[in-house]
Amino acid sequence: GEVNSQEGLELASAETEDSTLQTAAAKKIKIEIKEKKEKKQKVDEDEIQKMQILVSSFSEEQLNRYEMYRRSAFPKAAIKRLVQSITGTSVSQNVVIAMSGISKVFAGEVVEEALDVCEKWGELPPLQPKHMREAVRRLKSRGQIPNSKYKKITFH
Amino acid sequence: AGRVWPEPGGACDAAGRSWAWCRTTRWRRPQPRRDRGRKCGAAASMADEEEDPPFEEDTEEAGGGPDGGQGKRKRLFSKELRCMMYGFGDDQNPYTESVDILEDLVIEFITEMTHKAMSIGRQGRVQVEDIVFLIRKDPRKFARVKDLLTMNEELKRARKAFDEANYGS
Repeated sequence: GEVNSQEGLELASAETEDSTLQTAAAKKIKIEIKEKKEKKQKVDEDEIQKMQILVSSFSEEQLNRYEMYRRSAFPKAAIKRLVQSITGTSVSQNVVIAMSGISKVFAGEVVEEALDVCEKWGELPPLQPKHMREAVRRLKSRGQIPNSKYKKITFH
Repeated sequence: AGRVWPEPGGACDAAGRSWAWCRTTRWRRPQPRRDRGRKCGAAASMADEEEDPPFEEDTEEAGGGPDGGQGKRKRLFSKELRCMMYGFGDDQNPYTESVDILEDLVIEFITEMTHKAMSIGRQGRVQVEDIVFLIRKDPRKFARVKDLLTMNEELKRARKAFDEANYGS
């Protein structure tokens, strides 16, 4: 695990103070940070174990779907080409990795919302365009779809 | 020569390698594409993805509305998006129109993010820090980017250590 910026700030300020009283406080902060990290690791391990138990109880259809969920990804070459065609300059590999990742999360949010819409309307998959459009409408009203073309009105 | 057609409906070959898109055909990719400029004249796109949908799409957006109107562009992510939609909970065979709508949404999302990233930090360039900044309010995406970049660093370190270990022997 990494030391996040807040912990880094605490460590830095703890180390620049000189008097013995503040050295004791600094030690206390360091111990607290260590305990927090251990707790986080324990939670992660629990999480991993729970996932294993869940996945081991999947039906074949669920396993198929889970495999597709984990494995599907946007092709890096296409994403890189797309981003570079927009910027006109080249982009680093990390940018492509990050962009592919958040695009997949975005796609997931849309599909999940569309499935909610579909269920709410008493219909069944496969998802139809009307579900997708209603999902987009709802996500837009929650501000989850970036749109820089909308003319912002400050006072309604 | 060396071109292998996928089985119908398949998104990956038996070894789990994904298909790379050429303009009109699908090629298995054992090596980087060198033939991007070459026209694949003969074969049309695989018929297995052009199923006739059993229903009519709404025609309200005749000219092309905000969500589904960019029909002229070649489909970039059709195969991958199909797998993704199934993974996220849709039917094993999603409707092509829905896949198209989702593709347009994703491309619009990437375009917006790219433009925003270009306008902050170092202007005119897209850097990871800008993306992370833009995402900071969205917990899911933020956590995902953090995980991906951390894992990438670990993989790079592991690969480097592996290569150094082999270099000695």
